[in-house]
Amino acid sequence: MPSLSTGYAPNLGVFLKSLKSQQLEASIENLISLLKRRQIKNSRPCAIATAHLLLRVVARFKWTDVGKLLERIQEVGQRLIQAQPREMVVGNIVRRVLGMIRDEAKEDRNEDASDSASNSQLSSPKRQSSDLGHLRNAGGPPTAFSPLRFDSKDVVQAMDSNSDDSFGSKSSANHRPPLITSHTSYAVTNNVPVQHSMFNLLSAMPSPLATPPGVSSPQGRSSVNMSSVAHRAAASSNDLKAEVISGIEEIIDELDQVDEQIASYAQEHIHSNETILTHSSSRSVQKFLLKAAEKRKFTVIVAESYPNDHEATHAAVAGKSKSSLDDSDDMDSDTFLKPLPKAGITVIQVTDAAIFAVMSRVNKVVLATHAVIANGGLIAAAGARGIAKAASFHKTPVIVVSGVYKLSPEYPFEFESLIEYGDPGSIISYHDGPLVDSVEVDNPVYDYVPPHLVDLYITNLGAHAPSYLYRIVEDHYKAEDTNFHNPEFQY
Amino acid sequence: MPASDSAPSPDPSTVVPPAPSPTIEPPKLTGAELKKQKQAEKAARRAQTVIGKAVMPPPAAAAGPSSAGLRPEAANAARGQQRRANAVSSSSQQDIPTRSKKSGSPIEEPKEEDKTIEFFRHLTKTKAYPAGLKGANKDVHPAVQVLGLQMSNYMICGSSARLVATLQAFKKVIQSYTTPPGNTLTRHFTSHVLSPQIEFLASCRPLSISMGNAIRWLKLEISKVDIDVPDNEAKEGLCSAIDSFIQERVTLASQVIASSAAEKIRDGDVILTYAKSSVVERALVQAFEAGKKFSVIVIDSRPLYEGKHMAAALANLGMEVRYALISGLSHSIRRATKVFLGAHAMMSNGRLFSRVGTALVGMEANSYDKPVLVLCETIKFTEKVALDSILHNEIAPADELVIPDGPLENWRDVKGLQLCNLMYDVTPAEFLQMIISESGNVPPTSVPVLHRLGNESQA
Repeated sequence: MPSLSTGYAPNLGVFLKSLKSQQLEASIENLISLLKRRQIKNSRPCAIATAHLLLRVVARFKWTDVGKLLERIQEVGQRLIQAQPREMVVGNIVRRVLGMIRDEAKEDRNEDASDSASNSQLSSPKRQSSDLGHLRNAGGPPTAFSPLRFDSKDVVQAMDSNSDDSFGSKSSANHRPPLITSHTSYAVTNNVPVQHSMFNLLSAMPSPLATPPGVSSPQGRSSVNMSSVAHRAAASSNDLKAEVISGIEEIIDELDQVDEQIASYAQEHIHSNETILTHSSSRSVQKFLLKAAEKRKFTVIVAESYPNDHEATHAAVAGKSKSSLDDSDDMDSDTFLKPLPKAGITVIQVTDAAIFAVMSRVNKVVLATHAVIANGGLIAAAGARGIAKAASFHKTPVIVVSGVYKLSPEYPFEFESLIEYGDPGSIISYHDGPLVDSVEVDNPVYDYVPPHLVDLYITNLGAHAPSYLYRIVEDHYKAEDTNFHNPEFQY
Repeated sequence: MPASDSAPSPDPSTVVPPAPSPTIEPPKLTGAELKKQKQAEKAARRAQTVIGKAVMPPPAAAAGPSSAGLRPEAANAARGQQRRANAVSSSSQQDIPTRSKKSGSPIEEPKEEDKTIEFFRHLTKTKAYPAGLKGANKDVHPAVQVLGLQMSNYMICGSSARLVATLQAFKKVIQSYTTPPGNTLTRHFTSHVLSPQIEFLASCRPLSISMGNAIRWLKLEISKVDIDVPDNEAKEGLCSAIDSFIQERVTLASQVIASSAAEKIRDGDVILTYAKSSVVERALVQAFEAGKKFSVIVIDSRPLYEGKHMAAALANLGMEVRYALISGLSHSIRRATKVFLGAHAMMSNGRLFSRVGTALVGMEANSYDKPVLVLCETIKFTEKVALDSILHNEIAPADELVIPDGPLENWRDVKGLQLCNLMYDVTPAEFLQMIISESGNVPPTSVPVLHRLGNESQA
């Protein structure tokens, strides 16, 4: 820890400052311990910290090839996730970065490939053979496969079985060749250049255009491409590194702007004179409501989400008091938001117990989330399930406001595993001595809200039905990264 | 509001006796008795409207002391007058102080913005308790004053406890009552002695349904007293009637319910309950003492934390108790096998009126297919119906929600911020599987039937 931060409780701001002066390894350890101690908690701060750390990791990385970079980021990501598995955004950001590197690498290689294809006919066969040799080493069928005998179907089938296997077992992530693991989904994203280069790779054929592009399957294509990238990556490493860094910076920018982007949809969803019920304190929801309040008058009922988030909730409706400033956890102090009543919203603070009682007067529920999972369900502050359920009983629409960065590709069947249990001391303090001894106290921090209780998700990309979320997940993450943190995990 | 005030306020010092008369005093003739009785029955409701009208802006400040100064004079003057006039002035007497008392507390309020919640504005705002005693009518019996304070700061809380305490206090009122010469207990007591007590209690905290039922019964008993019966005998009769009422409708009823509910508990059960209900606690203790092996989950909520007492009491007996707040409900409910709920009242449409949060518990239990059993004495059954928790409810003082040193401390300074401290909510009948009462175990649809049976036997 740099000396300037002593005397402060370490938080996100301190961490970001220390990032510049600290050794990389020390920074990683620092973030891990901050996560473990919950000194950085909640989705947004975790996401920002992770993104900044990964930026440093990439910047400090001694470039050999893309595969090594991916491995390095996976390794750092695994450590961060192990430190705090229930902050799912950490994994999300790592996956975003991994996917982005893969994309960049592919683009990079595509440019190269198309260049070389047009420039020199001579160079390509040489490269092909090396590519295919690599492919064979990596687990393709060694038998009856010759680079000269063009039989794309064979290759495709071989690759198919190979990738199926690796999908099934994926047992040794650390030993496997880093780039051969690609599966179906992502090669689809920019297929035109990929197909173009396909011909270069596989054809000893005189006229590449004679082969219809549809014959080759994405699986074979992409893995071959990636392996070729690995071989030539060093050459273009500087460009690639710069691109990766700017890509991570884009993610950081996105984290900055996500709340504004979500808020820009507010006026489409809130009409005047509404009564909206919300829960706990969330910057996204707060900005959403503030934006709507610029044009409309409405009432917001705020449930306090006692005992884990009530301080922040009260502060959000009443403005900061001195005591809550002391333990302001994240960025709140430098990104202070106007309390809702100041914006002309009538705010009614209720206890969590009164949710059902007031629900009959509510015409929309706006929920904040901790994480969203691919099935359209969400993890939110404890009590959210009760709210969503009460809303569905009263047929009140439930809107979930969430940045795309909270959307996680993980889909555990046992949702209990996502729930964190907090400090029972905040429910029964040690003043109640005898009670502490004799009673078991439960303090779940999060609730799982199943997708059928949610009517609408509003993300920075727009409004979606819960059933559509899986699609957004596929757009943002590569399937091969989904379980990078525990390769042996099988669903 | 100022418009309605302009009538009584202009000249409080001179106009005091006539001022209340148009609103409260019925024609002084024979019909008065009947009408008064009717009015007394609706005491609580009327008190609300009186408060509504009596909230006086600044002129009240002047009215307060002057009318207080005048009150003894008026009383003295009245005492010298005829009997009938005495009755009249004492009825006005009970009203003047009530007004000055009520206008006393909200004096600071009108300067600020209205902090009441729009859709709860029809509900009485319970006042903070110090105002309750200061402005208390001289007619209010000390025992009732004590009780009023205890109820307003939740020392006596829960509808059964309040019911019993109220009846005990009324017993003391009856014992210390002597019929003024030329009057009869039947005609005088209810309207001139009992009503101010009830009004005072209602001003401390709105009467519970069970209290309303019991008061109606008590008035009926009083009206049944024969005019020729000597005072002492009549008073004794009433006291023993009250005793047996408590015995029958509360003590024995809860015993019957407890043992009936305890039978429903089997080995290995996990009973989830919300907040504190004396009869639920009794049932659990009874089952535990019968040697059944089960554990209990107590769900609780801010700001009353009634469940904490329940959890402590059960844990002291050696029961296995888990404790969680209502936000953790959806986790606890999965462990539970049965849900036991206490009641504030059972509505005629089968809905359960109980501590705020009960509806959430019922809903979650229903969504996880856990049977919900309501333990409720028939004295809590009412012919009233409720569809939502808004029309019929109680708003407790908002400041009870403020956590010391928290950000809400200065909430009154934040324009546009309101705190809502709701006391009850209404649980839909479809969440309830069974009502366990002393007259049997019935589905929620049978509540009106039981209520009718109970009333028929009473009448």
